[in-house]
Amino acid sequence: MNVITRRSFLSQTARLGLSTALATLTDIPFVLQRALAEGSIGLTGPDGRVKKLLFIFLRGANDGLNTVVPFGDDAYAAPNRQTILIGKDPAQPFDTKGPALFPVSGQTTGTFDYANGLPLGNGFAALHPALKFLAPVYNAGNLALVHRVGYPKQSRSHFDSQNYWETGAPNNNLVSDGILYRAMVESGLANSLPLTGVSIASSLPLILRGSNAAMTNLSDPTRYNLLAVPNTPPGNLKADAALAAANRARFADKRDRELLTLQYQNLASTLDIFAQMDFSETGNTFVDDENTDGDQPYYLFPTTNAKNGGYARNSDTGKYVVPPAAYGHFQNLKAASLVLNKTSAIVAGVSIDGWDTHGNQGGANGAQAGLLRRVAWSIYAARKYFTKYADKCKWDDLVIVTLSEFGRTTVENSNGGTDHAEASVMFVAGGGVKGFQADPLGGMKRSGVFNCGGDSDPIPWQTGANGTMFQATGRYLKRNTDYRSVLGKLIRDHLGATQPQLNRIIPGYADPTESLLTRGPQTRDQTVVIGEPDLV
Amino acid sequence: MSTCTSRRSLFRAAFRAFGPLLACGLAATAAESPNITGLTLKNGQFQLDFDPFPATVEYQLQQAPSPELPFAGNVPGLLGDFVWSALPGTGSAGFFRVVAQTLSSDELLEATLMSRIAYGPTPDEQARVRALGPAAYIEEQLAPENILEDLDHAAFVPTWHKVTASGLGTASALFIYLDGPGEAFLDDVRLVEGATDDGTQPNLLRDGDFEAALGSDWLISTNLVGSALTPDFQHGGDLSLHVVSTAAGTTTSSSIYQNILPALSKTKTYTLSYWYLTSATETAQLTVRLSGSGIVTKIPLKDPNASPAPIFTSLTAGTATINDLRAWHVLHAVESRQQLAEVLRQFWENHFVTEYTKEHDYFNNLGLDSNSAGQVATQLEFAENIRWRDAMRKPQCTFYDLLKISAESPAMIIYLDTVGSRGNGSNIANENYGRELCELFMLGVDNGYDQADIVQISRVWTGWSIRLVANDQVGNPFAPTTTNYLDPNAITNKTAVTNLIGTWAFNYKSANHNTTQKKIFFQHDAAGNVTTPKLVPPRFGQPWAGRDYSLVIPAGSGTNSIQEGYTLLAHMANQPFAEEFISVKLCRLFVHDGFAIGYDFTDGQTTPEEELVHACMLAWENPPNGGPKGQLRDVLRVIFNSDLFRSNAGSLQKIKTPLEFNVSVVRALRAQNGDGSFTATTDGYGLLAALSRMGRMLLFDRMEPNGYPEDGPAWISAGTLAERLRFVQAALMPAGMTGKSDAGTATMIDPVALLRLKAPGSLGDAGAVADYFLGLLFPAEGKANLAAFRAITVNFLNTDDAGAASPLSGLLPGTSAYDLRVRGAVALLLTTQRFEEQ
Repeated sequence: MNVITRRSFLSQTARLGLSTALATLTDIPFVLQRALAEGSIGLTGPDGRVKKLLFIFLRGANDGLNTVVPFGDDAYAAPNRQTILIGKDPAQPFDTKGPALFPVSGQTTGTFDYANGLPLGNGFAALHPALKFLAPVYNAGNLALVHRVGYPKQSRSHFDSQNYWETGAPNNNLVSDGILYRAMVESGLANSLPLTGVSIASSLPLILRGSNAAMTNLSDPTRYNLLAVPNTPPGNLKADAALAAANRARFADKRDRELLTLQYQNLASTLDIFAQMDFSETGNTFVDDENTDGDQPYYLFPTTNAKNGGYARNSDTGKYVVPPAAYGHFQNLKAASLVLNKTSAIVAGVSIDGWDTHGNQGGANGAQAGLLRRVAWSIYAARKYFTKYADKCKWDDLVIVTLSEFGRTTVENSNGGTDHAEASVMFVAGGGVKGFQADPLGGMKRSGVFNCGGDSDPIPWQTGANGTMFQATGRYLKRNTDYRSVLGKLIRDHLGATQPQLNRIIPGYADPTESLLTRGPQTRDQTVVIGEPDLV
Repeated sequence: MSTCTSRRSLFRAAFRAFGPLLACGLAATAAESPNITGLTLKNGQFQLDFDPFPATVEYQLQQAPSPELPFAGNVPGLLGDFVWSALPGTGSAGFFRVVAQTLSSDELLEATLMSRIAYGPTPDEQARVRALGPAAYIEEQLAPENILEDLDHAAFVPTWHKVTASGLGTASALFIYLDGPGEAFLDDVRLVEGATDDGTQPNLLRDGDFEAALGSDWLISTNLVGSALTPDFQHGGDLSLHVVSTAAGTTTSSSIYQNILPALSKTKTYTLSYWYLTSATETAQLTVRLSGSGIVTKIPLKDPNASPAPIFTSLTAGTATINDLRAWHVLHAVESRQQLAEVLRQFWENHFVTEYTKEHDYFNNLGLDSNSAGQVATQLEFAENIRWRDAMRKPQCTFYDLLKISAESPAMIIYLDTVGSRGNGSNIANENYGRELCELFMLGVDNGYDQADIVQISRVWTGWSIRLVANDQVGNPFAPTTTNYLDPNAITNKTAVTNLIGTWAFNYKSANHNTTQKKIFFQHDAAGNVTTPKLVPPRFGQPWAGRDYSLVIPAGSGTNSIQEGYTLLAHMANQPFAEEFISVKLCRLFVHDGFAIGYDFTDGQTTPEEELVHACMLAWENPPNGGPKGQLRDVLRVIFNSDLFRSNAGSLQKIKTPLEFNVSVVRALRAQNGDGSFTATTDGYGLLAALSRMGRMLLFDRMEPNGYPEDGPAWISAGTLAERLRFVQAALMPAGMTGKSDAGTATMIDPVALLRLKAPGSLGDAGAVADYFLGLLFPAEGKANLAAFRAITVNFLNTDDAGAASPLSGLLPGTSAYDLRVRGAVALLLTTQRFEEQ
C-alpha cells in the first residue's frame, strides 16, 4: 500500500477554488453559515461532546414479523407461516414480564443453539433467535424495537421505497436529496467541517446526497490513496499538484459538473484525514470488555475467521457470531465506527444487502437469520466499542438506527419465502435511548418494544385472522407509525435540530395531515398513526 | 436572451464607473455570445469576466461604435481564463461583446456519437468518423450485421515486433536467452553506435540478420542447444533464429552469445534493435542484452493484443468461468468496430439484469461442486447474452423479441424465483418476477399496473422452470430430464445431477401452474372485486388515451398453458407504458439522466425531453418503414437525430459508468501500429477488479434487479473517484511499476508509441504534445475552453518530478525519462473531471 500522504492535494489554492464555487451556490460565507444556523446539530454540548448518528440500511426489505415476532398473535402460526415459522419454547413463556431472554451458550455448545423465539418480556413479543446478542443491549435499556413502521400509500417497489426512506418524502419522486444530507446542511457545518456525513459503501447513498455540499463516501478505506506515474513520492506530489490545478480550471455548465467539482474536492480534502487513521486488519484489535456468550471476550468486529466469536479458540464454526460472508460488512462497520469516534463526522452509515427473501428465507437458521446475526452483532459490538474505546464519541452520544424499505407478506409463498408488503421493524439503539427498565419489585417498568405489545400498544395489536397482520389489504401488516416520526424524533431530540429545522429536513412535519408529531390519521390513506414514539 | 437584462445593468454600472461602453451582445448569426459576468478595475487595468461557453474554439472581444452597428474585430487583451484585460484607454471607447466561435454542428455531433454510441473514441475511429460524416456513421452502427468483423473466430496470426533500446557499451558481449523453457523467433539484430539507428550505420554484430549459418559468430550454451536457423518464419531474408530453451538463461554459460569485435567503448552510447515474433501461448520472456547493464531488453513473447476468440471457444464449450465471460465482454467493448451493438448489448444485459451468484448458488445447492456450478451459471449468462446479440442483428428487431428472450432465460427464471414458484392448489405464487417484470423490465414503476395485477401476473408464470435436458432438447420446453448418464452402471445416485449429461434449459412444468382464469389490468371495488377494464390514462394523448388494455386469460391447464406467458408479454410489450418506459431508458442511456416516466403529453406544456420521449413512442407505435411495432432501430434513429442529442444540451451531459470509464481509457489511446500491434491493449481481465472497486459493478452479477444505474450521482463519490484515478495511473504505468496491478498487469498503454504513430513531429515539443492529447481526449470541449488544461499539461511536461524546470525538448524520446514524463502527462488528463464525462 502506498502510504504517502497527499498534502499537496490540500493546497490552499485548491480550497479557495472550492470556497468560491460553494459560496456562489449558497450565497453565504461558510463562517456565517454556522452563525446563522439554528439548533445544535454537530455542536459541542456542555459536556464537551457532540451527538452522533450511525445508520444501517437493510436493503431488500426485512421481514419484520420474523424479527420482532408477535407470539401473542395466534395468526402467527401455520399455515400462514410454515417453513419460516419461529417456534415457541414452552419452557420460556412469552407472556411473563421482565427482561429479554439471553440464552448464553456454554463453551461446548454452539452460539446459536437456541432455536426458538427469545421472549422480550413484554408479554407479547419475542426476538428472532439470531438476534440473541441484542438481548444484553435490550436489558441494559439501550434498545428500542419499533414495530409496524411504514408510510402512507406504501410503495412495494424496492427502489422507489428506498428512495422515499432516504429522501424523507414518500411518493414524491422530485426530491433528489437525502434526509441526513439536509440535516447536515441545517447544521451549518457541512461546508466548514472536513467531514459531516460519511458512508462506507460501494456508492454514496441517496440519504447523504445533495447538491450544495459534499458528503463523503469511502468504498474501501484501506485503499483510499492515489497513485502516480512515476509512483514515487515526488511523482505523487507532482501529479497531485497538477490535478489540483486542473480542478480549478473553469468550464461551461453541464449537468454533472457541480457534482464532480464537489466530490473531487471532497476527495482532496479527506485523503489526509483518513491517511491518519488505521483501517488495517492489524489495527482491528478491539475486543469485548467481558466474556462473551459464556466464553472468552470476543473481537467486536469479526473480519476474519480468527476474529469471529469463539472460533479462534476451538476452530468450531458453531461458535461463529456471524456468518463468514459478513466480514465485508464488519470491515465497513469498523471503518464507520472509527470515523465517528476519531473525526468530526456527525453521521456515518453502512448498508447490509440481501434481505429480499422471496425464496428460502429460512426460520431460526437460513438466509434471513444470517442477516439478522449481522444486525445484532453490529449493535452489540458498537455498544462495546463506543464504551470501551470511546474517544470523540461515547455510547451515550450515539444513536444507531436501522432503515429498511418495507416489510414482507404475512403469509409465506410457495417457495418458503415472502414477498413485498408494508410495515416492518426499525432498531434504535444508544446510551440515551429510552428502552427497557426493570421494575425493582420484579417484572417490567418500561418496555423497549414499541407497537408489538398487544393491548398495551397505543394502537393495540389486534390478533387473529382479521387482525393487524392482515389489515393493510390482505396479506400485509398494517403500520401504526411513520418512519419519518422515528427519524425526525432522533434528528430533533438527539442530534439537536429545532422544530423549524426539522420541518425543513422532513417537510411532512409541517403538514398536520401527515400526523408525524402526534397521534392522528394520515390523510393520504386514512391510517391512524401514533405520531412520534418516545424513543430518546 | 433572458440574461440580457442583468448584463445590461452591469454594463451601465461599469460605464458610470470606468468609462468604456459595453453592450449586451446582439443575437449572433454564426457565433455565440457568452454571458458577461462583470467588469472591474484591477491593478490599473479593466477586467471583463465572462462565462465559458460550451464547445468554443476561440473567444473574441468585438467592438462597435454603437450597439446598432455591426460588431467586428478582435480587440487584443483576451486572456486564457475567460477574462479580458486592458489598460484604460486601450482601444477607443465603444460597445463591446464577447463572441464564441464554436465547433461546427458536425464536429460536435461526431464527438457526442463517439462517446455515446461507442465506448469513447479511438484515434483511428475519430479520424474515420470525421471522414465518414456523422450521418453515415449512425447508419453504419445501426446495422452491425453489415460491419464485417468476427472477433470470436479470428485465428491468431503471429506478427513481427521490433524492440529498440539504447545505452552505454558496458561490456562487449551480447546475450540472447529466455527466462525458462520455451521458444522464440528472432531476426535482424542490430547494434550500432549512437542513440538512434537510422539504418545506415554499420552493424557491430556479425551475422545479425541470421541468413548465414550460425558458425562461430554465435555461440550456443547447452540449455539452448536445440536452437537453429529456420526457414519457417523470417522478418528479412529467408531465415530467422529459432531459439529453443530448456532452462532459464542468465549469462554467457546459459545463452546464445556473441563476443563483439572490436570491443565497445564503455563511455559511448549504442543502440540495439531486433525483431521478434509474437506467440499466442508462449509464457516465457525473451532477454536480449549486453553483458553488464548497459542495454537490457526483456519482453514477453505472448501477443499483447488479447483476442476474445480463445475465450469464446471456452464459452461455447461450457468450460468458462464468470471472469472469462466478463473479460470476453470487456474485450468486445474495447476492440469491436460494432460499437453501438456493444453498447446495446451491455444496455439490455443490464436492463434484463440477472445475478450470476444466485444461479451459482442454485446449482451448488443442487449438488454440483462450486466450480461446476459456476460454469453452468456462466453458461446461462452467456446464452441469453448471445441470444440478445443475435436478435439485435435483425433489422426489424423489436422490444418484444428481447423481452421474450429474457423471460425464457434460465438465468432469469432462477434469479427472480420463478423456478420453484407454484400456483396449483392453495400455493401462493412467488411475486418476485411478476413485480419486477412490470416495474423494471416492461412498464416502469406503477406505470399502468397495481398490486392486484402483480398477483394475477405472478400466477401466469407459475410452471416456468428449468430442467437438465438432453443436449438436443434445449429448445423444447416440455423435454424430460436427460437420461444420458456419465456412469450408466452407477447403482446409487444414478439420477443425481452430477451423473447426468445435458444442458440446463427453460422447461415448462404445467403441474405447478395456476389454472384459474386471470383477469389482469382491471379496476377493483373497495371489496377487491374486479369491475371495469383499465384504460390508458388521458395523459398519453392520441393515439393511446382511452384504450382498453385489460387482458383476460381463460382458465387453462396442461402444456397449452405455457402460452399464457407469451400472451401477456405480447399484449403488454407495445402498450404505451412500455413504449414510454423503454424510450425513457434509452434516452437516459444516450442523451442524459434527466428523463422520467409520467409526462403529461396533453397539457400543452412541454420540454425537449418530453418531446423526444413522445417522438420515440410515435416511432415505436407507427414504424416509419413498416413492419412490426417496437422496432428498436426506429426509436434509436429518433434519438440520434434529435436536436437534444446533437446540441450542447446533449453534449458532455453524462458521467461514465465504471465500465464505460475503464474501456474508454484503453480505447482513447488505442491505435494500430504498422506491425498489427496496438498502442493500448488489455486482456479484459485486468479491468474487472477495478470495476468492482469503482462501485461494485460486477458484470452479469448484480444483486438488485434494477440493473446498474445510468446516472452520475450513483457512481461518483470520493471513494469511487479515488479508484478511478488509481486505475488511470496504473494503466499508464509501464510494466513492473509499483501499483501497476490496479489496472491489471496486462493493461498496457504506450502514449509515446501513439505520438510516434500519429504526431511524430511533435515529440520534442511540449505544446504540440499537449495539443495532440487534448484534441484526442476532449474533442467536444473546444480548444479555447482547454487553455487552462493546456497550460497545466505543458507545465507538467516541462517540469521534473521535483518541480524544477526540465524542458521536454531536453529529454530524448526513447529514454525512460521521456517515456515517464509523457505517461504522467496523459495520466493527468485522464484523471481530470472532464474525462469522467461522456
